[in-house]
Amino acid sequence: MHPSEQTGGRASHSAAISIRGVSKSFDLKGRPVAALDSISIDVADGEFVALLGPSGCGKSTLLRLMAALEEPSSGIIEIENRPAAELARSHRLGVAFQDHALLPWLSISDNVALPFRLAGLAVDHARVNELLSLVGLSEFAEARPKQLSGGMRQRASIARALALKPDVLLLDEPFGALDAVTRRHLNGELQRIWQQNSITTVLVTHSVDEALYLADRIVVLSGRPGRILRVVDVPFGRPRTREMTRSAEFHHLCDDLTDALRGLAEEVRAA
Amino acid sequence: MAHGTLGVLLLLAAWEVIGTYRLVGSTWPSISEIVVFAASPSRLALYGRALAATAEAVFLGYLVGAAAGLAGAALVALMPASRITTDITAAVINATPPIALGPLFIVLLGHGAAPVALAALNVFFVIYVSVNAGLHAAPRARHDLFQAFGASRGRTLLRLLIPSAIPHFLTGLRMAAPPAVIGAILGEWFGAPRGLGVLIVSAMQNFQITLLWGAVMLASIVSIILFAAFGVLERVAIRRYGD
Repeated sequence: MHPSEQTGGRASHSAAISIRGVSKSFDLKGRPVAALDSISIDVADGEFVALLGPSGCGKSTLLRLMAALEEPSSGIIEIENRPAAELARSHRLGVAFQDHALLPWLSISDNVALPFRLAGLAVDHARVNELLSLVGLSEFAEARPKQLSGGMRQRASIARALALKPDVLLLDEPFGALDAVTRRHLNGELQRIWQQNSITTVLVTHSVDEALYLADRIVVLSGRPGRILRVVDVPFGRPRTREMTRSAEFHHLCDDLTDALRGLAEEVRAA
Repeated sequence: MAHGTLGVLLLLAAWEVIGTYRLVGSTWPSISEIVVFAASPSRLALYGRALAATAEAVFLGYLVGAAAGLAGAALVALMPASRITTDITAAVINATPPIALGPLFIVLLGHGAAPVALAALNVFFVIYVSVNAGLHAAPRARHDLFQAFGASRGRTLLRLLIPSAIPHFLTGLRMAAPPAVIGAILGEWFGAPRGLGVLIVSAMQNFQITLLWGAVMLASIVSIILFAAFGVLERVAIRRYGD
């Protein structure tokens, strides 16, 4: 697709992802347990939305529903006005999870090229090389995943998610298992990469800082069953800088959201 | 490894001592007696012919059994509904005493076929079970990834399930070594012209204890060599395909 066409498409701000009254319950030893309750969100084309909530609030479940890895118990999820599963089936979805799920028998370069092979397309080696340099792994193209650090593996998994220039990118705590310094660094890189590609993105996180730094909009979910508690528009322009994270406004929002989460965490413990 | 070698040496030393001093009677010769007995040219030729016949049966049994085991596992992978039927069939075949199957193979496949058939049967079961386990070994996160990237069943099989099963397949080949040798020897009892099994039976009937133990030792050595060789391949596969 030509870049200007892409921008034109985004200007209309149609909902890329439309979630309508979605509930999800799981069967736990024959007893239904509600994970999500009446969730409705619209994500605009090209928007970056963070799902923020305490652990166990069902935010990962919501992401799995968007990826059509699970079916909602009730309600509808549509992506580009079609059932969510069609996006995955037509190879236009990119995903990166906390478990990088790189295949140990493939080199980093072959792992990044995997989406081409799974879609039955000829591997675009120029694209693979471009992505490897985008995430700073050009020198490790022929390395095996186990030879790389945790942060490098996550970068490879993000490069893989972007391989086919997906319409939608779903990220589930991709940096969740990393130390704070690496995580902050990778968040900076993720923002840079995202700005170059501007894909509709949903990020699941339990880090307020991360959500504020990366997202256009933050959806705060309550504890189990997950309900939408608040939707916060992030007022900062892009590119976001580390200086911005030291501003009074950032701190104020950060405190506000942290308080909201702490309240939720106590609720969950009491329940 | 060092502990393993020590264990084997201790076992061999105990065998030698028990044999030399006849601690459990005359049917337990020492290793040195067996080696000295076997070291004459005519006996070496006798053992050699027997070993060649048994080794051939084991080799063919591996080929047929591994192919059948892979085919069974592939059937289950492509048609999950067939799993219960295939599992039960495999288990029933494995639970049937091979002694009962020997005559059946003679009727069905002819006189010479029993050694290969029984070796193949034993290999089949081990390979079927291990490859089946291997095809289910890919972690959930990798399945999720393939699904999210819209991979078809065929591509998931080719690029995820089969590579994940390779180390298990080699574990199966290693574990199948002793049953394959035992199957071939047992098969030879049903009227094979030559082989270690034939040698064992005739030595037993003629009370040639040293000859008998020589044949048993050779059979064990074949087992151990196969076991160790597949073990090396297995470690290579785990290094490449494991995490």
